[in-house]
Amino acid sequence: MREMIISELTQAMQQFTRGFAHILPRIIVLVIVGFVGWVVAYFLRIVLRSVLRLIKFDKLSESAGASQLLSKAALPSATELLSRFVFWVAWLGFILLGISVLGVFGLQEQIAKFFLFLPRLFVALLTMFVGLLCAGFFSRAALLASVNANLPSPRLLSVSIRTIIIIFVLSLVFEEVGVGEQTMLVAFGIAFGAVMLGLAIAFGIGGKDLAQQFLETRFGRGGTADEGKEDELSPL
Amino acid sequence: MPLEQDVLWYKRAIIYQVHVRAFCDSNGDGIGDFPGLNQKLDYLVDLGINTIWLMPFFPSPLRDDGYDIADYNSVHSSYGTLNDFREFMDSAHKRQIRVIIEMVLNHTSDQHPWFQQSRSSQENPRRDWYVWSDTDTRYHEAGINFVDTEMSNWAWDPVSKSYYWHRFFSHQPDLNYDNAAVREEVWNVMKFWLELGVDGFRLDAVPYLVEREGTNCENLPETHAVLKELRRKLDEQFPGKMLLAEANQWPAALRPYFADGNEFHMAFHFPLMPRMFMGVKLEDRKPITEILQQTPEIPPSCQWCLFLRNHDELTLEMLTKIERDYMNDSYAQDKAMRLNLGIRRRLAPLLDNDRRRIELMNGMLMSLPGTPNIYYGDEIGMGDNINLGDRNGVRTPMQWSGGWNGGFSTADPEKLYSPLIQDPVYGSPAVNVLSQKKTQHSLLNWMERLIAVRKTTAAFGSGSIEFLYPANHRILAYVRRLGEETILVVNNLSSAAQAVELDLRRYKGNILIEMFGKNIFPRVGELPYLLTLGPYYFYWFRLRKI
Amino acid sequence: MAEESSLTDDFLGQLISVGEVDLLVGVPTHNNSKTIGPIVETIQAGLLTFFPRERAAIINADGGSRDGTPGLVVSAAIGDVQRSSKMYALRTLHSISTQYASGPARGTALRTILAAAELLRAKACAVVSPESTQITTDSLAALLRPVYADTFDLVLPTYRRHRFDGVLLTNLLYPMTRALYGLRIREPYALEFAFSGRLGSQFLAQNAWQEEPARTGSEIQFTLAAIAGGYRICQTFLGTREHVERHSADLVPAMRQTVGALFSSLEPNFTLWNTKNGSEPIPTAGVEQEFTLEPLRINRKRLREMFSTGVAELESVFRAILAPSTLAELQQIAGLDEARFRYSAELWVKTVYEFAAAYHKSVISRDHIIQALAPLFRGRAFTFLMENRNGSAGNVENNVENLCLEFERMKPYLLEIWNGRE
Repeated sequence: MREMIISELTQAMQQFTRGFAHILPRIIVLVIVGFVGWVVAYFLRIVLRSVLRLIKFDKLSESAGASQLLSKAALPSATELLSRFVFWVAWLGFILLGISVLGVFGLQEQIAKFFLFLPRLFVALLTMFVGLLCAGFFSRAALLASVNANLPSPRLLSVSIRTIIIIFVLSLVFEEVGVGEQTMLVAFGIAFGAVMLGLAIAFGIGGKDLAQQFLETRFGRGGTADEGKEDELSPL
Repeated sequence: MPLEQDVLWYKRAIIYQVHVRAFCDSNGDGIGDFPGLNQKLDYLVDLGINTIWLMPFFPSPLRDDGYDIADYNSVHSSYGTLNDFREFMDSAHKRQIRVIIEMVLNHTSDQHPWFQQSRSSQENPRRDWYVWSDTDTRYHEAGINFVDTEMSNWAWDPVSKSYYWHRFFSHQPDLNYDNAAVREEVWNVMKFWLELGVDGFRLDAVPYLVEREGTNCENLPETHAVLKELRRKLDEQFPGKMLLAEANQWPAALRPYFADGNEFHMAFHFPLMPRMFMGVKLEDRKPITEILQQTPEIPPSCQWCLFLRNHDELTLEMLTKIERDYMNDSYAQDKAMRLNLGIRRRLAPLLDNDRRRIELMNGMLMSLPGTPNIYYGDEIGMGDNINLGDRNGVRTPMQWSGGWNGGFSTADPEKLYSPLIQDPVYGSPAVNVLSQKKTQHSLLNWMERLIAVRKTTAAFGSGSIEFLYPANHRILAYVRRLGEETILVVNNLSSAAQAVELDLRRYKGNILIEMFGKNIFPRVGELPYLLTLGPYYFYWFRLRKI
Repeated sequence: MAEESSLTDDFLGQLISVGEVDLLVGVPTHNNSKTIGPIVETIQAGLLTFFPRERAAIINADGGSRDGTPGLVVSAAIGDVQRSSKMYALRTLHSISTQYASGPARGTALRTILAAAELLRAKACAVVSPESTQITTDSLAALLRPVYADTFDLVLPTYRRHRFDGVLLTNLLYPMTRALYGLRIREPYALEFAFSGRLGSQFLAQNAWQEEPARTGSEIQFTLAAIAGGYRICQTFLGTREHVERHSADLVPAMRQTVGALFSSLEPNFTLWNTKNGSEPIPTAGVEQEFTLEPLRINRKRLREMFSTGVAELESVFRAILAPSTLAELQQIAGLDEARFRYSAELWVKTVYEFAAAYHKSVISRDHIIQALAPLFRGRAFTFLMENRNGSAGNVENNVENLCLEFERMKPYLLEIWNGRE
């Protein structure tokens, strides 16, 4: 009995040792890949941060309104955030690559899915960013135009435009990442009707001189009928 | 060989204006004469001349270069005799050269026997042959022609103790054309010369023949009546002869001198001449096209006489003040060059001796509508001497060679009627007929060629003119047509090379043949016809549809 | 050499026909058939009267008129005028017209005229606005003569104006240009002016044509280019400038053309203006400026209301542009009633300078910065109207002068907030 136990133990130890010896190189490879990945990710982070600083990405992000959102969420600046994001994504990528070397069945498929998802995530983020930029720009343009045209409730108009554009952008983002697609599509369909208003206003901005004159005549008639005989300022 | 009989010979004439005195001296007295002129007729034949206009050669005190005539029926002794004149006429006619002479109708010299008799007493039969007055206030609206020398058109005669009328120098009293005897005698004078064979007359100063109170005494109907009468007699008794009017007037005022083809055959186009100079200086065709647009149609038998220069100053009378000032500033910056509202310079000095400009101006002279008149010496580019006083600077001896007296005379230089041009640029060693005859590309040879090409078509002399108005205003372009013949003339008035697109669609399908080299240029199509011209260059194209 | 690619073949062909000229008068147009005929006739008459010997051409750069404006330019003839006044044309006077490629834009029109001037080697050029119905033959000569005589490179106009005309000019463009660039140019944005061929070629060679202000604000850029290049500048009095009825919608485009161009000029010319102190007068023929005092009813209430509305509604925008203290002051005066409302010179200058600095830093879209200034300008205009409604012409001039001095005095503030000086 004793000899059987010892023999089994010895066999198990031998098997374990063989197995361990078999997997150890892969673990070492994993560690090396992980380490190299860290170095590369760190390098990428430094480079990206420099590039983003060069192109004044923070300013752009501020224009988009993204910086405000980030600071409210007590997050670092857009440049820093993006650099770190890239760092983690890159390192994670290398780690996953190392894990795939281990040859664990099923894991490789998931890892592949992860890598396929990354571009879509990137496009979604980009769409979000550009969308925020546009929303800020057009809402401000509408605000300024309506103030200068002396329209009533310019801020309401501006916020409406911003909201519509953000909804539109969000629906694109969700569709891109594949989260709640159907829900977002339906919600957007409802809100799409309101987009027509946005387009009409955008057209008014594009033909703002004409629109302003027309609207001024339309809206200004009631309030300024008694001032019809007075001249307007001649700036030049 | 008798002269070709052609009633309209003057339309194809190439006229050479010459002063006998200045052309060639045969007897060594320092003054040109008829035998000398006779000797040089072959030169004129080579040049292509078929008509000579002789400046006054009558006996005269020569205070106005012979325009002050003291005897209408003779030849000044310095120039020869009547016989010499007859021989000259024969020689000219043998060479198919016609001769027109000067006939100063408006006035005579105060040395003329007629005036001597007229002034002698109030009862003299010739008293009324001139225009006398007790006061100098009559006809006060008439202008003074020689503003630099005359203060009034009236002069006091101490002999007859009254005033006499003179539109030119005070020693040139005006004849009184209200007097039938004057008119009769003038015709007799003309008849005298016609019988000697002259082919026509250049009638000097015709606008001034008759005076009337309350007018400017120019171009009056009575004047035209006198002239028509002379013409009638000429046609009756001497058909085929020609009358050429010297009337320095605007085109509209010149028109009556043609009447219905029963007054003058030809008249000088005075207003065009200074505008040709102006166009070249401005590098703009506007002055030329405008004056020709304003030029009225004349009867088919009549003809304009064109000229660049003559024995008088380059008159600026037919210009507006702004144009006159421009001409003076451009061509006569030295005020000594200015005389009597004109510029007393020859062609070459006016054009800075620029060969291209000289050629261009002669090209226009030969291609614009009219009969061209060449002033002696301009065909070799003679210079002038403004220091000789009055207009004598443009009346210096002809330069035949670089030798003694420029080949003009064997006399001592001091005896010449006028000094030769001496300066290194225009003096006779540099500018003379002999050396230019020997030089293939001389101005003289070029002029011969030009005249020869001109004579290849009657369109220049008798054809219509239609101006083209390309966008490039530096280009003066026009089409001359006569019957089936069509000639396109393109002149570059600019000192820089030019490109021009001509609208020749009316002549679509025609091939352009350049008339000097006879080379073919591209056919006219639908598109504007592009031509490029060098500085002051011109083209004559014959249009040919084959 | 000029960029000829923007010139059509037809236009180039016409220029070839014109050849070299001594004088060139450019007229930019867009649907000006009501006024253009007499203006071109006046130009022709002016050239014939005062420059009869010179080679001249009139160049019309049209932005695609649909009312036959180019045809009117080309066919304008002064035959009757000529005959009656004994004017005489020694030379052919060309009048040619071209339509430039883009839609109506003054900058492109000016560029076309400059290109023509360079190709024709014009010694002296003038630009005349198609709305300058007050132009006379004498005023054209007054513009061209100093340049043609090679005494000056740029001749700008001065006018007799209504005191309430050109408020943007008197309250911003003139004082700021004077304070920064050191020259007392009354009309830095001039619709008619004359310049030498030399200056025109230099401006043409600058590569600023693609940017929006260049397309629309090139007149003021032209003046600034002359200042920057050390060219000789003078002014000449051209008489009365008629009051033109405007629409309230005209203000923002006007500001884009002028204030936008002025602000955008500050960065490239920083080394020029940052060291200048004070200002100098420039040679002026005739009076420098005259104000007329006829009554003119302007909607003052609307001005103030739009100012207050602007301050309230654009707070988020102003936060990005103005200093907190400036914004606070504006908010404070926005709440005052009409009797107590006053947009002081000092506050206005601070406002303008902060806007200029924000424009330089592009804190938001630059066009939005200009638009945001419009309601504030209305407030300043209101104060200017109130301060000068009863004063004499001398008082008006004094007030303008004081404002100019305020701009000059506060220039160090602009330098301080400029940030990122070159």
